[in-house]
Amino acid sequence: MLLNTLKRLLGRDGSGDCGTEARADGAASLRADGGTPTSDGFDIESVVSSLRESEAVRSAPFWLPPFLLMGFFVYGAIGWNVIISFTDFAGLQLPTYDPTAFDLEMYRRALSDGQFWLATRNTFVLLVSFTGLSLAGGLGLAILVDRGIRFENWFRTIYLLPFSLSFVVTAVFWRWMYNFDSGVINVFLRGIGLDFLASKWLAGGVELGALSAIPLVPETLQFKLFAVIFALLWQFSGYAMVVYLAGLRAIPDDQYEAARVDGASTVRMYRRVILPQLRASTVSAAVVLMVFALKAFDFLYVMFGNNPGPTADILSTMMYRQAFAANEWAYGSAIAVVLFLVALAVVAPYLYGEYRRGEL
Amino acid sequence: MTDTPDTDGLSRRTYLKVAGGAGSAALLAGCTGGGNGDSDAEATESDGGSSGDSETTESGGEGSSGGNALEVQHWWTGGDGGAAIQALFEGFKEKYPDIEVTENPVAGGAGQNLHAVIKKRILNNDPPSSWQAWPGANLQPYTDADKLADIEESVWGHNDMKNAYLDGPKKAAKPAGEFVTVPLNIHRLNNLFYNVEVVEDAGVDPASIDSPSALVDAMAKVEEAGYVGMAQQTKSAWSTGQLWAQVLLGEFGADVYADVTAGNVEANAEAVKESLKIVKQYSEYYPNDAGSISWQDANSKVIEGDAAFFHQGDWAAGMYRGQDGFEYETHWNQVPFPGTKGVYALNMDSFPFPANNPSPEATKKFLRYVGSVDAQKRFNPKKGSIPPRTDVPKDAFGPFLQSQMDDFANSDAQPLSIQHGLAVSPDALTGFGDAMSSFISGYDVESAYADLKAAFE
Repeated sequence: MLLNTLKRLLGRDGSGDCGTEARADGAASLRADGGTPTSDGFDIESVVSSLRESEAVRSAPFWLPPFLLMGFFVYGAIGWNVIISFTDFAGLQLPTYDPTAFDLEMYRRALSDGQFWLATRNTFVLLVSFTGLSLAGGLGLAILVDRGIRFENWFRTIYLLPFSLSFVVTAVFWRWMYNFDSGVINVFLRGIGLDFLASKWLAGGVELGALSAIPLVPETLQFKLFAVIFALLWQFSGYAMVVYLAGLRAIPDDQYEAARVDGASTVRMYRRVILPQLRASTVSAAVVLMVFALKAFDFLYVMFGNNPGPTADILSTMMYRQAFAANEWAYGSAIAVVLFLVALAVVAPYLYGEYRRGEL
Repeated sequence: MTDTPDTDGLSRRTYLKVAGGAGSAALLAGCTGGGNGDSDAEATESDGGSSGDSETTESGGEGSSGGNALEVQHWWTGGDGGAAIQALFEGFKEKYPDIEVTENPVAGGAGQNLHAVIKKRILNNDPPSSWQAWPGANLQPYTDADKLADIEESVWGHNDMKNAYLDGPKKAAKPAGEFVTVPLNIHRLNNLFYNVEVVEDAGVDPASIDSPSALVDAMAKVEEAGYVGMAQQTKSAWSTGQLWAQVLLGEFGADVYADVTAGNVEANAEAVKESLKIVKQYSEYYPNDAGSISWQDANSKVIEGDAAFFHQGDWAAGMYRGQDGFEYETHWNQVPFPGTKGVYALNMDSFPFPANNPSPEATKKFLRYVGSVDAQKRFNPKKGSIPPRTDVPKDAFGPFLQSQMDDFANSDAQPLSIQHGLAVSPDALTGFGDAMSSFISGYDVESAYADLKAAFE
């Protein structure tokens, strides 16, 4: 069906050589061959022929198939998820997709759910601190590696290697490293005489005192989320380093030389000349890192199971729990929509900026 | 456009045509590919690490092959469980050689991955013949949606099952008043395991501890002697969920326990808060690394003689069995959790009967077999659990399980597990999990009480 329409739009149904036929030059002489009846006359023909000439239609074979696939499997799924979030779908009875019964009940429920706010807070803490620290760490490493050190390739590979490991692997061994009694972190701290710093990284915390008067700030700051952020940082700084390194390499050498000749110190040279030119690297690395932060689900799930507790629960773990453990499909969908909007809010400005600068 | 040279137009048009053909071919491929992609996705989802890839094809063929094909899904893919279910299937095949059994195990997530697959198949009206499920309130969403069939006559009417099962398991088999599932095994939850040498060294007699609150003093004594009081993991909340339930049961009795799980939290506010407080006191006797270890790691502390007590379901004894030179009664032992003498707290697995069963006759035969002495005798010794039937001969079981079977046969009450879904619906269970997760990160009794109230009511 679709195939026929496509063929008809493209014009040539018959298999003969149609090459010499009149081109659609706007004249009336064109006969729509094949199955298209021509009795309706002039107008339709001209519409058909102008359609045939339009870029969109002529390029359809190239964009239409991927468009349909993407549309169905990605945007269709997102759309369906949004629709489910408007229903009351829970348990094991399929919802009735009745547009008159659609409401925002699930979103209201989320707004009045303390757990949801905790998860949102944690998601943003994770997003901001992980991205910021990864970028800073990556930039530092990139500058060091770019100083023309020996064994540069070795170091680059070593720093990037954690990025190639799966979340499952890193989660398991960071859990071991965080062990209070036998974990390498505390063993090391005790070994160098810093016993007082050895902590229960996954279960302990510090008292915040007066700060806890601020809403959503707890009385004790649990290390759990920061332990997770630190582990993720270790994994992703290498990626930020590679992106920055590419950016640094793209800066012509004469700019370094010119800065030197003008008597700029190294710090000043980087601050005034080099860093301002790394904007594009920063933005693209930041977007990727933020999306990874939103997807930290695997890491948390492997480390703590489907409920990491109030101090490390993020929206994606909560979504999974509500949908697949509690059978609250609609509520899970609503959380998914919120998560989707957050991701969109991260990516959209970047895409728009690229579009405006004509790079998209 | 007319100024385009003709030859160019020709080649370009031919090109377009070819491209169009290719495009439609790609589209066609895209359509069929889409179909494949779909079933692939399904297979991967059901995969979870083992052989889920045949799921769609198998279930597709199911309808046509009539009553002799049986599809059973479970999450026992390895270890004790894997060996146990294989022994059961062997017995079934001996009895019914003409029934073709297809297993589609879904590993991982303590059954959560399988639950997801089953829910999806139920929603798609394509259930397997039967699957591994916790009985009791865990099946409530299925009975609410009318997805399970009454098997009182067809299954429970055979093999003298109704007399052989005690009331607790029977109640769990009737989540909505009708028999819809057949429990296969029981793991006990109200155990207190201990390292014999450690408690002797500390001068504590576990059998004399008569209530959960008295256990606190015992653990204090143990810590004075230089051991960890209670090997507990707080990496995830479920062990604490189990522990709190036993404390409630031991300190306040089976009636209060049942009342709380039925949703009357406020009426039992004192009991709930007091039991939370006791758990909070216990937490002072946990190992330092409780937050980053698994229950197996915790249990190792008992085996290695670093910790005295250990609370867990009796699957924990499987680790002791596997440990050379660590023998029952000389090195480790078990008492009912303090205050729960005469009580057998149930955690069970069962096989339900879906309403639109693809192979009703074969499934009935299978469920009757699951409820038989032969099946339970084959399965349970390997699994390290006890049979829910009280007439299974004890000689196949080891000394520890034999004593558990005696306790079970003589028990006055068989309360259903909260943490393992028997007593509360999946929705309430998730709320319970949230409550316990919050509780272990700060031990705030009041807010845990509020969370529990919200979860159960």
